[in-house]
Amino acid sequence: MILYLLLPLLLLFLVIIQSTILDIFTLRWISMEISLTVVIYAGFHLDALRGGLLAFMLGFFLDCLTSAIFGLYTFLYIVIFYFSMMVADKVYAEKPLFIASFTGLCMLLEGLAIVLLYRFLLGADIFYAIPRIFIPQAVVLGLLSPLLFRFFQHVEVFLNAKDSR
Amino acid sequence: MTVAAVFLIISLIILSYSAVRLSETGLLRKLVLEIATPIEDVINISFKGLQDVWKRYLFLVGLEDENRRLRHENAVLSGQLNQYREGYLEGIRLRKLLNLKEGFKDRAVAARVIDNDRTTLFKTVLINKGTADGLRVGLPVVTDRGVVGRIIETSWHASRILLMIDENSNIDALIQRSRTQGILQGAGPAGCNLKYISKVEDVQAGDVILSSGLAGVFPKGLLLGVVTGASRREGGLFQKIDVLPAVDFGRLEEVLALVAEGSTQP
Repeated sequence: MILYLLLPLLLLFLVIIQSTILDIFTLRWISMEISLTVVIYAGFHLDALRGGLLAFMLGFFLDCLTSAIFGLYTFLYIVIFYFSMMVADKVYAEKPLFIASFTGLCMLLEGLAIVLLYRFLLGADIFYAIPRIFIPQAVVLGLLSPLLFRFFQHVEVFLNAKDSR
Repeated sequence: MTVAAVFLIISLIILSYSAVRLSETGLLRKLVLEIATPIEDVINISFKGLQDVWKRYLFLVGLEDENRRLRHENAVLSGQLNQYREGYLEGIRLRKLLNLKEGFKDRAVAARVIDNDRTTLFKTVLINKGTADGLRVGLPVVTDRGVVGRIIETSWHASRILLMIDENSNIDALIQRSRTQGILQGAGPAGCNLKYISKVEDVQAGDVILSSGLAGVFPKGLLLGVVTGASRREGGLFQKIDVLPAVDFGRLEEVLALVAEGSTQP
């Protein structure tokens, strides 16, 4: 029970680490969106309520700390979570190659959605961000995602073990 | 399926609401900012400290003792000198800010930049002053060099500024020489673009761009930037004008938020 109460703080801490330390490691060239892999992992392993809540909280925290349009990441993370859930129902989603490709694809789709929302909601063109930010981000995150998934599995096992005690 | 629909509808409502109107920051968002700001501050200060330690001391390992002692002394003296220099430079910056502050009719609140997120997709910075100091959403933020942007989110002790180079930023502007008015829109890494200037208008590289004060957000006459190029080649009625912002966003350390006394939220 205590884990569920601590979860929002842990997720907020993840977003803070992501927007400070990880950004420094990538020289602020691209953003290491570990939170996106958490959402995809949740889509593969959690049920609609728990995963949806997790995606909602992560998106909300990211909106609070980094986004210029409030609600952008909340919406996108919810969509990506349910998209991942649907995909996980239809295919075997545990192979590293699949995880890497799917994470890269989700990152690209997220980037494309941001660019289109900017275009239609605000009338601003940020198409340059696709080759300069989102494609490198998708490649890096895709390559790292199998390792991150393995790490999340350990965390999940650890949390379940604690919870069952 | 029902759960998914509920989450999707809630998130869509939040997105649509924030897309159509500039609202005061909600309590939950304020709480998140309040919790995150000190943690980010500590992380950034620690990392800067570690970087300094790495640069100043770790490279000395492996040298002769004498050399090490001398270098250590040198490093200590350099550290002290750096501290004095930092203090001196900070004094100059603060004096400039103070002079600028006295030049405004409105009350100005000086703030320190905590986190600079400008090189990722969204160009925003976090400052260490919030509603407790009189700041609120929509207020203009400047330095002694010119306009920085406007506040888009506030908590009690922190605020987030949308920089003028963000694509989401639009400022009413005028060309100082010809008094022609347009809209200065952020263009990301490219700086800014001055929009809606007719092809018949004479615009030259080096023209100074100022805030026109029309929308009521930015006071009239604040320096925005300098024209770096104007092109009439593209189709349509207007010129394509590139503007280099006056402020170097990579070196932002202290800023001033202008609080218009007794005014309503823009």
